[in-house]
Amino acid sequence: MKEMMYYNINDGYPESIVRGYRRSLLTSSQYGTLTQSETLDDIKLQLSATDYGNFLQNEPPPLTTGVIADRLTERLVSEFNYLRRNSVDPLSKFLEYVTYQYFIDNVILLISGTLHERDPADLLHKAHPLGVFESMPALSVASNVQELYNIVLVETPLADYFRGCLTGHDLDEMNIEVIRNTLHKAYLEDFYDFCVNDLGGTTGVVMKELLEFEADRRIINITINSFGTELSKEDRLRLYPRCGKLSRESPAKLSAMNDIDAVKAVCDNYGEYQHLFRDMNRSERTLEDRFFEQEVRLNLLSFHQQFHYGIYYSWLKLKEQEIRNIVWISECIQQQQKERISDFVPTL
Amino acid sequence: MPEMGTLFRSELMCRCQLYLPPEAAYNCVAELGELGLVQFVDVNPEVSSFQRQFVSEIKRCEEMERKLRFIETEVIRENLDVDQDEIEPMAPAPREMVELENSLTTVENNLTEVNTNYVALRKNHLELTEYKNMLKQAEIFLSETRFNFQDSDETTNPEENGVSDVKDEHASMKFNIVAGVIDRARQVAFEKMLWRVSKGNVFIKFSDIEEEMEDPKTGNTLYKSVFMIFFQGEELKTRVQKICEGFHAAVYPCSEHGKERRERMMGVNTRLEDLHTILTQTTDHRHRLLLAASRTLKSSYVKVRKMKAIYHILNQFSLRDSQRVLIGECWMPTADIPAIKSAITTGAQNAGSSVVPTIERVPTTEDHPTFNRVNKYTIGFQALIDSYGINSYREVNPSVYTIATFPFLFAVMFGDAGHGLIMLSFALWMIIAESSLEKKRDISEIFNIFFGGRYIIFLMSLFSIYTGLIYNDIFSKSLNIFGTNWSTNMTFAANESAPLKLGETLMLDPKNPNQYTGVPYPFGVDPAWQAATNKIGFLNTYKMKISLIFGVVHMSFGVILSLWNKVSNRRYHEIFLEFFPQIFFLLFLFGYLVVMIFIKWLMYGANYADPFSEHCAPNLLITFINMMLFKKADVDPKLEGCHTDGMNYEIYMYSGQGGLQKFLVIFAVLMVPIMLFGKPAHKIYKRKQEAARRGTMRDELLGGDAPQEEEEEG
Repeated sequence: MKEMMYYNINDGYPESIVRGYRRSLLTSSQYGTLTQSETLDDIKLQLSATDYGNFLQNEPPPLTTGVIADRLTERLVSEFNYLRRNSVDPLSKFLEYVTYQYFIDNVILLISGTLHERDPADLLHKAHPLGVFESMPALSVASNVQELYNIVLVETPLADYFRGCLTGHDLDEMNIEVIRNTLHKAYLEDFYDFCVNDLGGTTGVVMKELLEFEADRRIINITINSFGTELSKEDRLRLYPRCGKLSRESPAKLSAMNDIDAVKAVCDNYGEYQHLFRDMNRSERTLEDRFFEQEVRLNLLSFHQQFHYGIYYSWLKLKEQEIRNIVWISECIQQQQKERISDFVPTL
Repeated sequence: MPEMGTLFRSELMCRCQLYLPPEAAYNCVAELGELGLVQFVDVNPEVSSFQRQFVSEIKRCEEMERKLRFIETEVIRENLDVDQDEIEPMAPAPREMVELENSLTTVENNLTEVNTNYVALRKNHLELTEYKNMLKQAEIFLSETRFNFQDSDETTNPEENGVSDVKDEHASMKFNIVAGVIDRARQVAFEKMLWRVSKGNVFIKFSDIEEEMEDPKTGNTLYKSVFMIFFQGEELKTRVQKICEGFHAAVYPCSEHGKERRERMMGVNTRLEDLHTILTQTTDHRHRLLLAASRTLKSSYVKVRKMKAIYHILNQFSLRDSQRVLIGECWMPTADIPAIKSAITTGAQNAGSSVVPTIERVPTTEDHPTFNRVNKYTIGFQALIDSYGINSYREVNPSVYTIATFPFLFAVMFGDAGHGLIMLSFALWMIIAESSLEKKRDISEIFNIFFGGRYIIFLMSLFSIYTGLIYNDIFSKSLNIFGTNWSTNMTFAANESAPLKLGETLMLDPKNPNQYTGVPYPFGVDPAWQAATNKIGFLNTYKMKISLIFGVVHMSFGVILSLWNKVSNRRYHEIFLEFFPQIFFLLFLFGYLVVMIFIKWLMYGANYADPFSEHCAPNLLITFINMMLFKKADVDPKLEGCHTDGMNYEIYMYSGQGGLQKFLVIFAVLMVPIMLFGKPAHKIYKRKQEAARRGTMRDELLGGDAPQEEEEEG
């Protein structure tokens, strides 16, 4: 009741905008015509009939997938920034939280890039624009975790999340992976706490569902990726975000997940995760795709409720999926792999 | 007589098929486009847009448009005027496309080449300027540092990559210097980062560069600072370099020897001068290129867009009869078929085709498009009406009446001859300067609105002057043109002992023969009312009453106009279910009020004897409210003069009024359910009838099979 009365005072305008953005997501018929394209120019022509409009019109030929992907991301970023500029606290705080995941990914991207001695300019170009921070370019200076924290991250919002990984010393491949997962874990738990406890209300209800899914996806992925690595069971347990549905299982049960069948056995207790492993061998859909499908379903659901912030998160996720789809279709066309062109995850 | 009907109803339209020879199709469509009288229909909507016939041509047009946009941005950046051509070029012939493409490509290539050079030169220039400033600042920094760098020290100390090692002679300490230029906005973050990396063991000096610098690519002004970092140790050196790299700071070699620095400074200055000459030449060259491009820019734009539009339309055609004919469908006004025919014939002739294109009417039951033929005078009014919704095909077009009613009703509200005069001069200016303003109309959206409605404003101002004279309002003052018919020699005498009292008023009393001659002022309101205390009481009731009369007449007129639509569409049931209830409701309540106004005006008067004196005139507002509430007002015993022959003239103006009013209200209220449910009920009834008819028809047709079905079901 209180939400209904006061929501529109501050958040009415951004909500109307984000719902408009959601309406402009590509429909299945638009995907249908996209998949019929023969060249990238056809894609450009098709997209000009959608809400993307003439966003590729000033690109000199030849068009490449990279250019399309860059323009799509630019578009997403400008829309997101528009929402941010038109928001006030607590929505602005919420939207800031949403960007942290890109922060984390950028930090990891730069550290591992430096480890493999990639060109820093190239790395910066690859970084997601929503997660760019001022001292980011200096990440390459750090040679161990302590330095990373003390020099670069201490000023960023990630500092709190980083405390959990100060124990590691060297920046090798394994440690970076551990750092990534620790950061995401800390981030997810913090965001979960912010949504469910600080904001509460409908936002809490909706975001709880979405973040629990996100946490469970991490748990399952960490587990599966840990098979055959040196990661000990205890370390693995430590990486699991504590806000997922799966994390409510007993530690014994979780650490007993030694192969894919054990994971499957645990997931079978949850209706929404059962289908993830069904017909794994026969179907061509990868686990990743199945997760994406589930994510799209959940995000679409959050638009059915009103007076909450989950729609911003959901729109961003759906839009990202849409970008992945368009890029996938473009790649298939560019690489003459038309038989796989329909293997994307439709967003509607 | 189609000419007569065109204003009252939208134009008669017909659907036609065009049979064009493929070689002449382009020219034919170009001619039709110049004519602007045809609405094309897509004959192959199922074909997706990139599988159509002329997709490659459209893509080429788009590519040309992109080049034109590129040239335009460059031209605008150079602050050149894009020439406004007087004559719009015709659509170019298809073979000219290659020529146009080539010329655009040449211009684009030349421009990009010049731009790359230009940017490279400017970048070079920027770097040198930065270096110059850095050297200048270094001079100041190093001379004021406490460490005594010996300027005269001739021992060679090779510096590489901007880092030089300095031996302090007193403490045999090695100092590294890294100097360069950084964006002023990043200065603080840069300093903080350095401080954290070195744990506080660096000494940094900043100094703003005052000189104006431009971004070589965008031309924006840049604000930068010179920095100089002093620190110790080799390990720090690599880190500092990395940070500089990360912050996009430009690092320049800086020697600690004054002599070397001065030598460098001189070198930089000469190079800067050389660069300056080359830059001027490049700028001139660029300017000439753009000037040439800007001359044809506008006409090229029009050409390319016309071409694209033609191919877009041709994509809606279909190639049939083993590619010998292009067939397209379109709507056109029946009256214009000869003009359209001659246009496509010219098109075919221009293309040198021997086959004559033909138009064939196709009968259709589809909804026809509405087309109202307008000229520059009626277009404003038509746009006004269209903003409320465009009427269906051949419906009555109210914009004809709007030409008179809209300005008039405006003027009833805006009745001031003086203000009307101002408006008139504005409207006249727009009408007289029409042709020159037409070109500038895109500049301001607000002005465009005024300009589009210039004839509306013109008429509104004329009507305002008229009503202003009736109200006798000129800049809220009155004119005494004919001489007032009131003689009011009221003087306010006041002196020290008897000051002017607030209560002293000038009441105009028409009953008083000393005040009023009894002859009304010849035109409009007598100016004497302007000064009267009872001005409001007189003018407001008068204006309110005429507004009511105009309003009711206007609304009834609108309802009556709808009768034409119903009759011409043969929807007679709507006359009984919509038209009559509406008009009865309106007339029985508000029409009756208007009638009462006239009765009151005629029956009562200031000079009439009781019971028709002004004291007895009933208040119509109260009468109307009581009518709706079925209430009779109480008789006022004080107004005895109004009570004669068993009539109370201060309540009812004629006998039987109470009964009539009850009847009117009941009848009007009875109309409401008809308006609400009449049409839906009729629709349901019709549908049921239809279903029953279909049912019996099926039974008759399938008579033999019906029993079998029943058996199966059983």
